[in-house]
Amino acid sequence: MIAGARAGTVSGLRRLTAAAMARDLHAIIVPGPEVARARGLDIESAGLQIAATPRHANVLLLVGPVPRELGDAVIVLYAQMMRPRAIFSLGASATPSPLPHADVTADLSQSGLLDGVTRLRSAFSRGAFRLGVSDFDAPALQIRIEYTCPMHPEVVQDQPGSCPKCGMNLVPREASASAEPHHGAEHATPPEYTCPMHPEIVQGEPGSCPKCGMNLVPREAGSADEHAQGHQDADMDHGDMGFMSMVEVTKDLPRSPDGLPMDWIEVPFGPFFPGLPGGLLLTLTLDGDGIAKARAQSLVGGSGALPASGMGAADFVEHLSASDPLAPICYRLLACRTLEAAAGQAPDEEILRGRIAAMERERIASHLGWLALFARQIGFGWLLRRAASLQLQFLHADIKQVMALSPALQALIKRLQRTPLLKSRTAGIGRMVPDTVLRGPVARATGVGDDARSRDKTCSTLGFTAVSRDRGDALARLHVRLDETRHSLALIKAAGAIVLPTPVDIGVISGKGEAAVETPRGEARLQLTLDNGRVIDARLDTPSTHHLDLVAPLLEQQELGDGLTTVASLDLSPWEVVQ
Amino acid sequence: MRIAVVLGFLFAGAYLVAVLEARLATGRLRLAAPGWAAMALLGRESVVPRQPDRLFFETAPALLLIAALLAAAVLPLAPGLFITNLATGALFVNAALAYVLVALLMAGWGPDGAYALIGGWRFLGQLIAYSMLIVMPITAVAMRAESLLTTDIVASQTGLWNILYQPLGFVLFFIAAMGVAFLPPFDLPSAEGELAGGVTSEYTGVRLAVFRLGRLVLVITLSAATVVFYLGGWLGPVLPPWAWSAVKILAVSATMLLIGHYLPRIREAHLLAWCWKLGIPLALLNIFIVGVMVLVWP
Repeated sequence: MIAGARAGTVSGLRRLTAAAMARDLHAIIVPGPEVARARGLDIESAGLQIAATPRHANVLLLVGPVPRELGDAVIVLYAQMMRPRAIFSLGASATPSPLPHADVTADLSQSGLLDGVTRLRSAFSRGAFRLGVSDFDAPALQIRIEYTCPMHPEVVQDQPGSCPKCGMNLVPREASASAEPHHGAEHATPPEYTCPMHPEIVQGEPGSCPKCGMNLVPREAGSADEHAQGHQDADMDHGDMGFMSMVEVTKDLPRSPDGLPMDWIEVPFGPFFPGLPGGLLLTLTLDGDGIAKARAQSLVGGSGALPASGMGAADFVEHLSASDPLAPICYRLLACRTLEAAAGQAPDEEILRGRIAAMERERIASHLGWLALFARQIGFGWLLRRAASLQLQFLHADIKQVMALSPALQALIKRLQRTPLLKSRTAGIGRMVPDTVLRGPVARATGVGDDARSRDKTCSTLGFTAVSRDRGDALARLHVRLDETRHSLALIKAAGAIVLPTPVDIGVISGKGEAAVETPRGEARLQLTLDNGRVIDARLDTPSTHHLDLVAPLLEQQELGDGLTTVASLDLSPWEVVQ
Repeated sequence: MRIAVVLGFLFAGAYLVAVLEARLATGRLRLAAPGWAAMALLGRESVVPRQPDRLFFETAPALLLIAALLAAAVLPLAPGLFITNLATGALFVNAALAYVLVALLMAGWGPDGAYALIGGWRFLGQLIAYSMLIVMPITAVAMRAESLLTTDIVASQTGLWNILYQPLGFVLFFIAAMGVAFLPPFDLPSAEGELAGGVTSEYTGVRLAVFRLGRLVLVITLSAATVVFYLGGWLGPVLPPWAWSAVKILAVSATMLLIGHYLPRIREAHLLAWCWKLGIPLALLNIFIVGVMVLVWP
């Protein structure tokens, strides 16, 4: 029995259909496939196919507890799924209210996943159809109708009416009831009215021309005479006022570089968009398929913040490590290093080397995870499968396994350097210039050799050198990550063993500490204050926080596909964004 | 009877294409997978989005299937094994394929969803890129056969298949055919990672099943067209003609799918630029070369 069963009596044919559904499970993953992989789950080998849209999914797979901020989005996601649909929760029993309880729950592990899929299949084949199914409703699903002008998207109001700029009838559009209403119209300049035949006639309200008696047409105040002059001829062609001249209607619209004014639509990409990391929400105002305006935000950031009451040192390490599922080891290392700095302790060289190996292994896995996500976005099927499978193998590999996997990784890198179309797909996209706010591979792709590892003595003894490329575009970022992956292999080999960072016993001391770790996305810094062995203050500074702010200006005026490639090439982790 | 055989052939081919597509997507070869998937889709809800253009939304999947079947109607699988042998067959293929664009635009416009809409627009751009590269190579093929009858086109390749006689035309047609079928790397209108499925993103249940079937049949149709125009149709030793057609069509379909699996999606601007700046001059050159060859080496 599943909560999201489809209404219907169970007949012979339905039984067969239910059996078919049990064999054809498509999951939409919360927060996203990349988080599932980073947690070591091989979703596809467990028999779940990953759906691109909730419309095509019949399983809502929750990987770990759903962050509170994603609750409403998950409810909308569930409502968009077609019945019969089921909720499969890994590692958490609670679903965001008012979603039904998970139909199947299992441990957050591959064996839990496999076991859960088996139970899911039998739940589908037994309970896909059922009588007396009620509709699912939730406050998050309520919609509000607002009215906007097709040509002037900034005009938005709650009532029907006509556009103050061009007089066209406003068209209704749906908006989420919870979203705050736009008040774009307030900022718009009040319209003024002019005669199409006599541009010197201008007045504040509609009326007719004192010279020729024609109805006055609206025009934006201050939108100067060049329009009136320039389009005088055009207006004369259809001097009748009821008629909407395209030239008149579109003259004040901002032009995209192609010069074509088009309908503007505001489209959300995220927080569960297939080509972007889960939890990242891009709101793009599209002008045709060009991006006129962009807004990027993380819905899951700030989870590394310290509770007001402070935390024990060991708990803090776990807390910070769990805050970013995409780089848990690096944040664990950061917490350990900072605590040690505050306590004035230093572990022996052997452990330091092992930790670097652990960090580098995570870098390889993270870059492979990024490749898989990137491949999904740019529709590169082979790379998606190959990178994802290598990532899962690297995730918990010991030193011997890393060495055994090394040829496969080298082959992947070589192959990518030869793949046709990949270069043309990424070259020149999202070009950036050197800037101090840039970090990690994004910075190194602009020719800056900035890397926290070059300041680390142990890293230097292992033979670390920073890699960089100087084109500053998506291709350069790809190459930097590939080069780094190679370097990481060499560093792990030189280190000789992998040691996960564990907090040393710092005792009951007070003090301040500061440390930095080069995470796969760039340098993360942490300052903390200890009070009698308890962390009472922590200031985290992460690369994605800075990179997120760059998204909007980078995207403007790009074609949609290029814009998304730009975002993907930054390798943002919405989890580490400090809010 | 003849019609039933051809249709059965097309749907069987579509099924095998679906098996291969699933193999590439999941890494596992499961012969029953498309069957189960189709049955599961039929059992799922199929909803209409809130403010659809109902006519467009409902018609688009069926139109895609019909367009693919219409184009296949004039392609012979063996001597005498065709639905109809029009005197304008080669041209008719192109005419029927024009409705693929209409179907996709309707599927993009119908559901009133942004992802679908952008997918539809993108395919309109894609048409501008591929359409000349469908027509112009066909022109050169018809020049050699001195006929638009598809059966004559096959017969004209008895001595030497067109893939060797006019390799340039073959390459252009093959690429354009992948563009028509919006197969990767030309899957701009249905991109998963960029548009969450694009034109298919709002289709569910039985409508989605029809849409996917239409797409699969389209792949088979275009493979069949490639075989008829360039790979000597049913011609071949030992095996019966229909078997040669089947083998060739499946091989072409598999090649199309495999190529896409190993490439990232092309950028729309590049697709247009390359098709117009490179593809069309090459297609003209092809027509010129074939014209000269037809004159000197009839």
